[in-house]
This record gives sequence, C-alpha cells and structure tokens, in this order.
Amino acid sequence: MNPVIETRQASRHYGEGDTLVKALDEVSLQIQPGEFTAIVGPSGSGKSTLLQLVGGLDIPSEGSIHLSGKAISQMSGRELSDFRRDHIGFIFQAYNLIPVLTAAENCEYIMLLQGIAEKERRERVRAMLERVGLGGKENRRPNQLSGGQQQRVAVARAMVSQPDIILADEPTANLDSQTGADLLDMMHELNRKEGMTFVFSTHDPMIMERATRLVHLRDGRIEQEEHRA
Amino acid sequence: MLMLKLAFRNILRNRRRTILTILSMFGGYVLMSVQLSVTEGSYDQMLEFYTKDTTGHVQITTPGFVERPTLYKSVPVSEDIMSALSEQPDVQAVTARIESSALAYGDTKSFPVEVKGVHPGREADLSYLADKVSEGDYLTGDPDSDGYYEAMIGAQAARQLNLGIGDELVLISQGADGSLANDLYRISAILGQPEDAEARWVVLPLAAAQAFYVMPGEAHRLIVLGRNHHQARTLETQLQNWVDNRWPESDYRATAWQDVAKDFYRTMQADKEGGQVTLYILVFLVCIGVLNTVLMSVMERTGEFGVLKAIGTSPSRLFWLIVLETLVLAFSACVIGVLAAWPINAWFTAVGIEMAEPMEISGIVFSHYKGQLSWYVFAYPAVVILLAAVIIALMPGLRAARIVPVDAMRTL
Repeated sequence: MNPVIETRQASRHYGEGDTLVKALDEVSLQIQPGEFTAIVGPSGSGKSTLLQLVGGLDIPSEGSIHLSGKAISQMSGRELSDFRRDHIGFIFQAYNLIPVLTAAENCEYIMLLQGIAEKERRERVRAMLERVGLGGKENRRPNQLSGGQQQRVAVARAMVSQPDIILADEPTANLDSQTGADLLDMMHELNRKEGMTFVFSTHDPMIMERATRLVHLRDGRIEQEEHRA
Repeated sequence: MLMLKLAFRNILRNRRRTILTILSMFGGYVLMSVQLSVTEGSYDQMLEFYTKDTTGHVQITTPGFVERPTLYKSVPVSEDIMSALSEQPDVQAVTARIESSALAYGDTKSFPVEVKGVHPGREADLSYLADKVSEGDYLTGDPDSDGYYEAMIGAQAARQLNLGIGDELVLISQGADGSLANDLYRISAILGQPEDAEARWVVLPLAAAQAFYVMPGEAHRLIVLGRNHHQARTLETQLQNWVDNRWPESDYRATAWQDVAKDFYRTMQADKEGGQVTLYILVFLVCIGVLNTVLMSVMERTGEFGVLKAIGTSPSRLFWLIVLETLVLAFSACVIGVLAAWPINAWFTAVGIEMAEPMEISGIVFSHYKGQLSWYVFAYPAVVILLAAVIIALMPGLRAARIVPVDAMRTL
C-alpha cells in the first residue's frame, strides 16, 4: 500500500554555527492510510516541527516530504497553500477558528476556497456539524462556544473538505479530560468507520491509548515505534 | 460572498477604529468634492462668460483666420445664412463679426482703434456687448436722418479723442479691395471704463462695417453659441458638416473656442491642474493616516492570517482580502461623503460665497464664488479615494500575503 505521508531523511535546523539547533534530525517515516498515529515525546523533542513539515507549513532544511506521492518540500508558496487546502486537514491546540465567522462559516470557508458549489457546501457543513454533535449551533461564533465545542468545530472544519489526512497538534491540551475524551472518541470513531487517517502530536495518555501506532521522538530523532492492533 | 462577509466583519471588529478611519476618508472626500465644486464652478462661470463675451462656442471662418486674422479672409454672411445656422440642433444664438483696425479722428486728435462690425440685434442676444454700455444707447443698426451710422466707442478712445455721445467720429483705414476707406459716424454709446479690454474699440453696425471695409455680404467670423462651452467640440463637428454641405466648394472651418483661444484655454487648464496639487496633498495626508490603521489591523491579525494560510488560503486571496477591507472602508466613506457634500455643493451652486471685493470684468460683475453640482465633483473624489485605498492596501496586503504560517501562528 502507498503511504499517505513519507518523510525521507527530513531535518529541520534553526540558527547556524554554534547556535545551530536541530529540531528534527534525519527523520524517515511512513504513515499508511487509515492509521491513527500519535507522535509522542517530551517537550522540545520535535513533535510539532514534524507535524508542521508534514503539513507543508514549514520546509525541511534537508531531506524531503512526500504526501500521497507528491514531494511537497519542492512546492512554491501558492502550490503549497493549494495542497494544504485540498489534501490536509489541520486541528490546532488553540482551535484557531476564525473569530468573525460562525461555526458553519468556519467549516464552509475551506470548501469555498476549493470552489465547491454553495448548495453542496451548506449540506456538507450541516451534516458534519451534526456528526460532531453541534447540530443547532451552526450560527454561533467561536466566542459563543465552549472550548470543547470550538475544538469540535475545528474537527468538523478539518474533515468537511474530505482531506487525505488530518494532522492534529495537541488537540486535547486545552480541554478538560472529559471533553478531551469525548472528542477523541469521536475522532477514533471517524477513523474506524470511515478510514480517515489521523496523525497526532501529543503527550496526552488518552490519545496514546487509542493510537494504533506510536512514534516516539527524542531530540529530533525517532527513538522508537510501536504498532498496535 | 463569504470573502465579502469576512471583510465586513473584520472591519467591524474594532468599531471605534473603523469609524475614525471612515471619518478621515470621509473628511478627505468632502473637502475634495467641495473644493472641486468651487473650482469647477468658478472656472465654469469664468469660461461661460469668456466664451459668450469673446469667442462664442464655435466660429466659422476661412482656414488660417483664427491663427492669423487678416482683413482679406472672409466668409459669406446673410440673414439667410444666419437663420439656417440658428436652426441647427443645439445652436442657441448666431451672429457675424468683422474685425479690423483703423485710425480714428475726433475733434483735433487721432487715435488707433480696433473696429468691430457687429449685427446689433444678434450680438446683443449672443454676447454681453449691450451690457458694456456705460453711457448712451446701444446700437440701433440703422443710419440716422442724415445718413450717418451709429458707433459705440471704448472709454479710452473716447477720452483720447475727447468725444462724447452725439459727437462725430471719423475712421480711416484700408478696404478689402485695397481702396482707402473713410467714413463718418455718430457716437451713440461709450463702452466700459478706460482700463477695460474694449477701451480702444469702435463698434459699428455690421452693414456699416461692410460698407467701410468694402466687404459686401461678408464677415470675418460667424459666431455660434451652443448650449454650453463644454459641448463645443461636439458642436464643432456638427457645424463642420453643416459648412461642408452648405459650401461644398469651400474650405471654411468650424473651430471650437478651445482652439480659437488656445493660449487662454491652456493657461486655464494649467491653472486648474496647479490647483489640484492641493487636493492631492490632502489625499496624501489622509492616506498616511489610513495606511497606519490598515497596517495596524494587519499586524494585529498576523496569527489569524497564519491560520487562514495554513488551512489553504492562497497568498493572493489574503492580499485581496486586505484590499477588499480597505475598499469597503473607502466606499463607505464615499457614500457618506456624497450625502454630506451634496447639500454643501448645492448651496455653493445656488448661493455661493460672497467675495470680499467683487470682481468686474468688462462691466460684468462677479460677486460670488460659485460651486458646480455635477457628477464630476462627486465621482472624481470617489475615484481618487478608492484608488488611494487600493494603493494604501498594497503594503499591508503584501505583508499579509507573505506571512509564513508557522511563524505567524506563534503569535496566537
């Protein structure tokens, strides 16, 4: 099976000379379709950096990143933004919803960029918000929603455009444990039922429990990998 | 639509700042519109006066006469021709003029004068000549019982020649046929004041001037007044067609006032453009303030732009979002600006500001600075403000477009 993501000897360095910091050091990794992968490790181990490289938000200093067979590390700024729009869904730790748009509009935004017709956009948004348990809250703005609800909107936003992969950077870090567990159950269910590929950067044990694969990072290198049934 | 919604909601985030920005653009718009209205109104008033008083809107002459007037270049004139010309669309009034020079004799003195042969009735309808009579009566056009034609004389010439109303005036010149022209006239009126443009004129009825210069059935210029001086170019084309049809064998020319008084027209244009520099300085100052606001708004939202870019918004779309937001501000300022500037410009047009010292040109008094109520005085500032908004938005827009998502999101 072709991997959804493949990093080949990907490194990310900051600074130079004596101040050179190797945030990620020659990481080679393959993520297969349908995986529920957690990248774990202590703070500063390079989890977020790896996720940013995989998501095309940053460019590797060395090596390459391939998503669905395409080398994203060689794309222009415009190509990268189109690529992110069409192939990647992001869930951020701080939700990062657009504050002036309603829950429905936040979800609709990416599809608008994709040029999907208004009627279809509306239908998909309604169905997705229903699915994440936010039916009836479509017209609320982020500041009118709780943290858990905002993260659900972020999940809906990431999924509604039907990307190849969803990258979630510490998605439960700002949520209480019950809300975090509910959200994880929902994502886990989407993974099992619809085969959606998830990659998390986390040190949340709840995510680790549910992950089918754990990638342990330390000092920018893969220390260990675990595959679970 | 969602982008427009996003732009609207973004500018409504900080309402106080938005209101202040719109107010500064609004102020710029109103000042510009009112200044433009007064400038255009004043120039318009002056040009309408000038064209009516001097050139008419279009003249029909022989080729080259406008550039180099001479006694020998004439066009045919008759009541039939002037009536036919009057019936053309958009023509309001028509007259004919003979223009040359002569030596005038009074009691014991002589003085060089400019002779104008005019059709008394038609000239009074077309120009301000009748209003310039400071003493005596305007020309009747008919010879008196002794067979003398009347003449009106400029104030300076009258003073130099020591002549008054009812006195005899002798003119000596050369006829168009090369003969020596001389004749006697009775002064019916004094024109203007010694310092006025017509101070050295002698105005004769057309028939008298034709007889004096031996130009039977001819004149130097057929003067046509259209609806207004703005439409002179259209009227010029229309009358050239009329001329070509009426005299197919001739090369008579219809010439708009802009070419007849080329130097005057250029000077007016240059003066007008010079006046607009003030407006552009004003717009520049407004722009600096607005640029500051837009830049601040972009910097405050750096993290948010990072997110928008991360989820797939292209750099160009982010750029246009900033341009759109600035344009919405500018458009709102223009809409409110039109509502505020309209009554001010209407008042200037109807009433105007009284000059401290009324200005008198050739006996016509200008006492008020008048405005102009036209689409131009509203549209031009709007175009300038909207264009300035786009220029203002360039730098913040490029800044937003160049944001690196991963760096920008660290500011959240």
